[in-house]
Amino acid sequence: EKEPVRYANLMYDRRVVRGNTYALQVIPACTHDNPLEIQRQRETRRRALARKRTKEQEQSRTPEPVEGREHVHVQTELYLEEISDWIIGVDTECQTDAFLDRPPTPLFIPAKTGKDVATQIEEGELFDFDIEVKPILEVLVGKTVEQALLEVMEEEELARLWAHQCAYAELRNAELAEVQRLEEQDRRYREEKERRKRQHKELLQKQKETTEKIAARAFAKRYLADLIPSVFNNLHESGFFYDPIERDIETEFLPWLMTEVEETLERKVLGRTMLDSLIRTVVEKRLDAFSSQPPFDQTEAPAEEPKPTDAEPQVAIETDADDQPVTVEKETDKLVAEAQRPRRISFMLHDSDQAETEDLETE
Amino acid sequence: MAHARISANLPPNIDPTKAPIAFGRRALPKLNEELQSPELLTQQRALMALCDLVHDPEKVYQAVELGFLDNLKTLLRHHDSTIRQKTTEVLYIMAMHSVGRQGLIQNGVISALAELLDDPVDICRKNTHQTFEMMAKLPEGAVDILHAGLIPSLVLKLKTEPDEIQELILDTLSNCLRVEASEALANGAVTVLKEKLTHPSVAIRSKAAWVLLEIGTHPEGKNAICEEVTPVLVSLLEDADPEVQASATGALMFATVKPQGRFSALGAGAIPPLLKLVAEETSKARLSAIKTLTMLAEVPEGRKTLLGHTDTFQQCLNDPSEAVKRAAQIAIRVIQWKP
Repeated sequence: EKEPVRYANLMYDRRVVRGNTYALQVIPACTHDNPLEIQRQRETRRRALARKRTKEQEQSRTPEPVEGREHVHVQTELYLEEISDWIIGVDTECQTDAFLDRPPTPLFIPAKTGKDVATQIEEGELFDFDIEVKPILEVLVGKTVEQALLEVMEEEELARLWAHQCAYAELRNAELAEVQRLEEQDRRYREEKERRKRQHKELLQKQKETTEKIAARAFAKRYLADLIPSVFNNLHESGFFYDPIERDIETEFLPWLMTEVEETLERKVLGRTMLDSLIRTVVEKRLDAFSSQPPFDQTEAPAEEPKPTDAEPQVAIETDADDQPVTVEKETDKLVAEAQRPRRISFMLHDSDQAETEDLETE
Repeated sequence: MAHARISANLPPNIDPTKAPIAFGRRALPKLNEELQSPELLTQQRALMALCDLVHDPEKVYQAVELGFLDNLKTLLRHHDSTIRQKTTEVLYIMAMHSVGRQGLIQNGVISALAELLDDPVDICRKNTHQTFEMMAKLPEGAVDILHAGLIPSLVLKLKTEPDEIQELILDTLSNCLRVEASEALANGAVTVLKEKLTHPSVAIRSKAAWVLLEIGTHPEGKNAICEEVTPVLVSLLEDADPEVQASATGALMFATVKPQGRFSALGAGAIPPLLKLVAEETSKARLSAIKTLTMLAEVPEGRKTLLGHTDTFQQCLNDPSEAVKRAAQIAIRVIQWKP
């Protein structure tokens, strides 16, 4: 709430502008917000005024009194009045008595004027209740029944809507079930079809494989029919089937035989060469021996005979290219060693045989 | 200062528990302000008045426009049980109108209501579940409930709540699971529902079978159902109540789409009761029974058994309903199909 209002007399309110406003000075805007400043200004203004007043008083308007006389203020009216500031006043008081409760107004009974008249409504004069009440009752009952009927109809409508909804829900469910069943059926048929197709494909595949296998088998059989004889022939020809004895004979006996033959031949050759060399040495010796002696024609004649014979084994020996130098060297060595043996050809041959065998052994 | 009340005695037919309603269009804005007042009594009285007003669809529209739902959402978390109860009741009545449902979806009230599932007061929970049930009837509402992740908690609640709330939960679940079933399956809904199939109450059995039906429309649901639930469903086919029979037949219909479901159904001896259901002229389950038998006829053993019963299907051809006739024709065709 507001703070208690400070009562102020309008006459003594500083804010109210007094006197002539035509030449009123405008309050300077926001010059001194400080109340101290304002007060100081007021003080200075008051002092200025006071000074002005005293100055005025000092400057008297009438001339100075002559000597021995005084100026006195005098009243010139008919009735003299005492001039004084203080007015004689007397205080008086007045007080009313306490208020009494207002007594209740006395009942105002106006005087009886006019005539007394009475009237009375008998039963059945105004209206007949039974007849009058009918329309009202009808309306009442009708409205109530109408309201009740409306409510019943609403309920029935609701029940019918509900039944309709149930039937629809049933239908919907049935249709949905049918759809799902058909879907299921379709899926099953499709799966079955796929399976059958796959089976059939596998069957065909297998059949194809078997026919191919049979064909390949028949072909291979035919191809290989004469394979065995040809194989056997080839093998036979390449020598895989052999009579073991024959083989044995061939592999072992014949080389041995050949080597033996070679040996014998070589021995014979050796013998011949030895013989040749012997003859040669003999001839040379005889030549030496006979060179001291002039007739060497006999020696030349036999020397010529062995020379062609010497040439033959030499030719024969030259055919044995590898062994020749060695054998010749060895034979000459042997010859030197055997020079002291008897010079009989049969013995020579025997020796040459031995030499050959020794050669063979050393070789 | 002048009061609106002229005399000290209240008029005879005013309810002191309700706030006085302003005239005409001013009624709801005034109630809105009163709802936000810090005084408990004012809030309660405003809520009571609101409950009455909200039965009118135009008022519902106006309330949604004015942004009542934000205030109601805040009030849901109030510590006073009367306020919570009344708020949930108001929300339930609003959910009964289409405008109200749209408003509830747009303002995301479902997630706010989710906190009330554990409310100690029974009535609050009942109203909450009623609201959910109403919302789930709308496709966007069902999607909203799924997005709010309420399915696991609902499945849990199924085990603990009293019967009437269980019915509401089952209804909600059946509408939501029509859209998507994977969350529920992940939370073991099938086991819980299997128990409910043997519940003494008829309504719960039929509703549980209906939920299983909705689960069965999804492929992963079918797998879950085929293994465990088919024998129980077959036993339910002989139940006394036609509602239960109808729902059980429907659930079987979807369970037998998959081959393993068909085998387990045949193994449980489903054909005789189904034939009985088909033979009855006025059975609700006729259509579903015909469809289920069609599924079973795809299996060779089923076909053999059903070849002897084709006359039952011939009778169905005279049914007035178009769908039943068609279904009977398809069934006959499937039974007599030779590979």
